[in-house]
Amino acid sequence: MVDGRVSATARTILRLSSVVAGLLGWHYLAVVVVKDGGVLASPLEVLARAYEMTVVTGELYPHLFASSMIFFYGFGLSLIVAVPLGFVLASTRLAWDYANPWITAAYTAPGVAFAPILLFWFGIGTGSKVAIVFLACSFPVLLNVYHGMRVVNREYVELARCYRLTRWALFRHILLPASLPFILAGVRLAVGRGLTGVAVAEWFGASEGLGYLIFFAGQTLNVPTLFVGVAVFTGLGIAGFEIVRQVEKYATPWLAGGPWK
Amino acid sequence: MTTTRPVLELRNVGATFPGTGKEPVQILTNINLSVREGEFVSIVGPSGCGKTTMLRVVNGLMPASSGEILIDGEAAGQVGDQLLMGFVFQAASLLPWRTSLKNVLLGLEGRVHDGRDADEIARKYLDLVGLTGFENHYPHQLSGGMQQRVNLARALAVNPRILLMDEPFAALDAQTRSFMQLELLRIWTQTRKTVIFVTHMIAEAVLLSDRVIVFSHRPGTIRAECNVSLPRPRDMDTKSSPQFLDLEKQIWKQIEEEVRDAGGFGQS
Repeated sequence: MVDGRVSATARTILRLSSVVAGLLGWHYLAVVVVKDGGVLASPLEVLARAYEMTVVTGELYPHLFASSMIFFYGFGLSLIVAVPLGFVLASTRLAWDYANPWITAAYTAPGVAFAPILLFWFGIGTGSKVAIVFLACSFPVLLNVYHGMRVVNREYVELARCYRLTRWALFRHILLPASLPFILAGVRLAVGRGLTGVAVAEWFGASEGLGYLIFFAGQTLNVPTLFVGVAVFTGLGIAGFEIVRQVEKYATPWLAGGPWK
Repeated sequence: MTTTRPVLELRNVGATFPGTGKEPVQILTNINLSVREGEFVSIVGPSGCGKTTMLRVVNGLMPASSGEILIDGEAAGQVGDQLLMGFVFQAASLLPWRTSLKNVLLGLEGRVHDGRDADEIARKYLDLVGLTGFENHYPHQLSGGMQQRVNLARALAVNPRILLMDEPFAALDAQTRSFMQLELLRIWTQTRKTVIFVTHMIAEAVLLSDRVIVFSHRPGTIRAECNVSLPRPRDMDTKSSPQFLDLEKQIWKQIEEEVRDAGGFGQS
């Protein structure tokens, strides 16, 4: 414990003051230092533009909807594929050794670089965008599932042997819960990577979506709209993290608190 | 009659580890031991002498490299998948994602098919070890002593033929340890299980056991046996009786000689 016991209210105040300080700094930079709305929009300008896009014209919603759909398809598909695949790879050494070079290559290579190839293959439609997001999300999940399974305490596995648990019970009651924190950490990473994937996918020849909105606003020097797009992406990222955090809280209650309890 | 036939019999049992060189390392050699129904047997010896390995071999966690193990007169391998032994680990073997109750239920998983029956059994043993009211606590919410109580309850709940205990109190502070020894005496009196108890504390072995077995230095084999005829029930006062102190000294001498024979204290 570095800073002793801090009450929940104090921590909330700390977080809020950090946000306010950041916004004030931004505002100062935009209004006093840069003084050019065509380069840096102030938070108030962005807020005004956001109000316009959501309440007055409602032009933001189709973009938000399009991006969300692509994210959920790609992200969901990656969980469906990567989680079981990670378990399989972790339980058979041979399969892992065989697949490892490709997984490492695909994980470490910049995913963005693959985007044009996928667009080339799948055309400029939903398919290619979902594929980009799927690839972006899959590898962090896959690797975390695998490593989560590999670091399960040996004693727990011996315990299962002692009490003659079946292979299924070993998986269900020991391996799965033991690796759950790792899996969820992978899912958390996948949220960030998946949103990056959405932005990238929509930069290349899309006609809607937040990525397209940002790209188009950048091309037409519409700085406030550009910032609204970025802010919405950020909001989605934060929301995604928060959802995963709530899932963690519910699914791994024994980890409550961590070192700062 | 089970009273005449030993519950567990080890005949010339040996065990090896794959060593760093070509030759496997001999951990145990020529172990001959027979344990009666309801007997409490402790194993003491210098550290690294293979006490824990013997428990693992008996429980089937590790194969014996030679000899045979009989349970109720039948070869252990042939007794099949029946759960014949409960194992109490040194520490940290409670699953952190399971409450006390669920940890005790682990051993009953797939064995007692009626969930309500299993639940009842688990609660009964938690009660026996004095943890009523802590059923829904997670291990991190329990003290070290309480965690070992859950550990014990889990081993007892499967109604094992033999209870194997591997230095169960090693991680506890001295006070808790003394208290847990008395608790174990109480629980053993109530359940009358056959127990094999590994410890490096001679006083603990003498206080609890009907018989103390002294292991030699590696490769471990039985160097001496010592019957403990102290009257039961035993309590804290037993530890200060002249008979107790005499036994303790006797066993200590055996270990001391063993360590000397093996090349001195500095080497083990």
